[in-house]
Amino acid sequence: MKEGTDRNGNEKPGAKRRRPGEGEDPDRNGADLLPGALLDLGKEIRARFDSRIAVGNAMGRGTADWVAFVDELRRRAPTLGMTERSGYVDDFGLDEHTLRQVRPVIEYLRLHYWRVDVAGIDELPADGPVLLVANRSGILPYDGLMISHVVAESMSERCRPRFLVADWLITLPFVQPFLARVGGVRACRENADRLLRTGRSVVAFPEGLKGAAKVFRQRYRLKRFGRGGVVRAAIEVGVPLVPVAVIGAEEAHPVLFKMETLARSVGASFIPVTPTFPLLGPLGLLPLPSKWSIRFGTPIETEHLGAKTARDELLVSRMTEDLRSEIQTMVDEDLHSRPGPWG
Amino acid sequence: MPKPSHVAITGLGTFLGRRLADRLAATQPELGLVGIDLRRPYGLSPRVRFHPVDLTIPTADGRLADVLKKEEVDTVVHTAFRREPTPDLEEDHELETIGSLHVLNACAAAEVRRLVVASTTMVYGPRSDNPNFLTEDHPLHGHPDSHCVVNRVEVEELVADWRAGHPNTRVTVLRPCWIMGPHYMDSVVRYFGRPVVPTLLGYDPLMQFVHEEDCLHAFETATLKSHPGVFNVVGKGVLPLSTILRAGGKRLLRTPAAILCRLRYYPSRAQTGDPPEGFYDFLRYLWAADGTRGWAAFGEPEYSTREAWMSFVSSQRMRRYR
Repeated sequence: MKEGTDRNGNEKPGAKRRRPGEGEDPDRNGADLLPGALLDLGKEIRARFDSRIAVGNAMGRGTADWVAFVDELRRRAPTLGMTERSGYVDDFGLDEHTLRQVRPVIEYLRLHYWRVDVAGIDELPADGPVLLVANRSGILPYDGLMISHVVAESMSERCRPRFLVADWLITLPFVQPFLARVGGVRACRENADRLLRTGRSVVAFPEGLKGAAKVFRQRYRLKRFGRGGVVRAAIEVGVPLVPVAVIGAEEAHPVLFKMETLARSVGASFIPVTPTFPLLGPLGLLPLPSKWSIRFGTPIETEHLGAKTARDELLVSRMTEDLRSEIQTMVDEDLHSRPGPWG
Repeated sequence: MPKPSHVAITGLGTFLGRRLADRLAATQPELGLVGIDLRRPYGLSPRVRFHPVDLTIPTADGRLADVLKKEEVDTVVHTAFRREPTPDLEEDHELETIGSLHVLNACAAAEVRRLVVASTTMVYGPRSDNPNFLTEDHPLHGHPDSHCVVNRVEVEELVADWRAGHPNTRVTVLRPCWIMGPHYMDSVVRYFGRPVVPTLLGYDPLMQFVHEEDCLHAFETATLKSHPGVFNVVGKGVLPLSTILRAGGKRLLRTPAAILCRLRYYPSRAQTGDPPEGFYDFLRYLWAADGTRGWAAFGEPEYSTREAWMSFVSSQRMRRYR
């Protein structure tokens, strides 16, 4: 029996086997996808071809082949015609199939709509996970999607960072399945720890809801960075922190003011009012074509600190504040040098 | 205590208890086996000495302690739980929570050395604020609309308290997720076995399954070797619900939650005694468990989530032709 014949999901009890593409294998991304897929295809073809030979042989030979043939039929009949109708889904729900489908849209946004300039991406360490920390802007997580797309594009699909999404957004129906499939993960310590420990990079927005709900008047003013959870997570796992400055995303969804009394009656904490949003209905959810730039700063190494320093509250809060002011400086520099919000 | 000499299994009629008894009878020739249930299951191996004990009567702990002492039992495997919720909420509570209390009391009286308790990962509860993988230390929220899950959370609390008071007994709590396989059957499996499966519109959580063989292997290992602690028993990998159903050739009927819960209200109330949210919330939010600790203790599972599911689907397909 060929190893590849259990492609259809049929079981062979007692045999320990790990076949590629189970979803829990993070190595099966990007550059490795094609050779792996070819290998699978080869196995599949060989498996099917062998069975034809078995049929032919069984016609002319003794009973032993018939037994093998019947066994083979019995083994295969239960899953006949069933195919695996999805891409490889990893353990945080990233679906390569969906990613391939939405790639043209993201490419269009990146190249033609927002014309994203990328700077400093060479500073990212070539191997190993990093914790990217960015300024949050806009209600919808376009910035996270764009950062992870830019990194995946310039390095490899395997390095695609997962972006953390605030609770209120990732628990919404329809939004949650989609975000999970393109690499969004609910923002919490357990998830960030697990991603970093399994060697996957993470994009975090420590400003949280305060950052997303900034009104246009306060744009590009970074809010407090939570309670230092980001720095603590990086120190505990020993991964570098990379400050990232995103410019232009604030203008994509300029929040003029927030409706709070009306929002309370529908159970939300606020309803953002943009020039287009409640006015044009769902069309108002489309972002404006501002000119974007994403700049990656110098990585801050945390490995030499040791996991125990994560409990040193003073150090953590100082590092958090340093990180915040560094991103604020980067944002200010980029704001000065850009010609205007629409490029 | 390297190896147990006499193993008692409560709830011999359940899938786990019965299969575990059969496995131990087949593989452990010198092990003494004691079965406890209401009535003797059909076709039981003659090696298993059966004692009828009703765990719901008030004096069950004394009767059970007598049996354990008489048979010199040193290991108890407690699997006397409902396979699926019944409409009789009170009886379910009597059997699961109070029955477990009786078993714990009997174990204390008989000075049992090792106790294995079957739980489920459903005790973590489906919640929108769950992390993607729940470790064994995560608080047990359960689900208020599912009375069997509430009972199991109570049992977990009882066992945790009892363990603190009885340091000489090594307590293992195993939490398998939803079991799939050619032989296992309960209300969840029936739900997944339908050709057209109603799911909640707009929700597609990551699900995980464990194969019945892997689950039984974990119970067998926990019975024969010492693994004190709490372990999740889950298959490797997670898959979105829609992917699972499509891979099994099922058709999805995506229905808004309000309609689905209303449509299924009366029938499901008649079957389980719970509002439909008690089941459908498990298909709405994440409650996948982290199996790393269990895999380290009991070995890598032979079936991943996808393989366990395909094993069930293929056997279900073949059942029509047998």
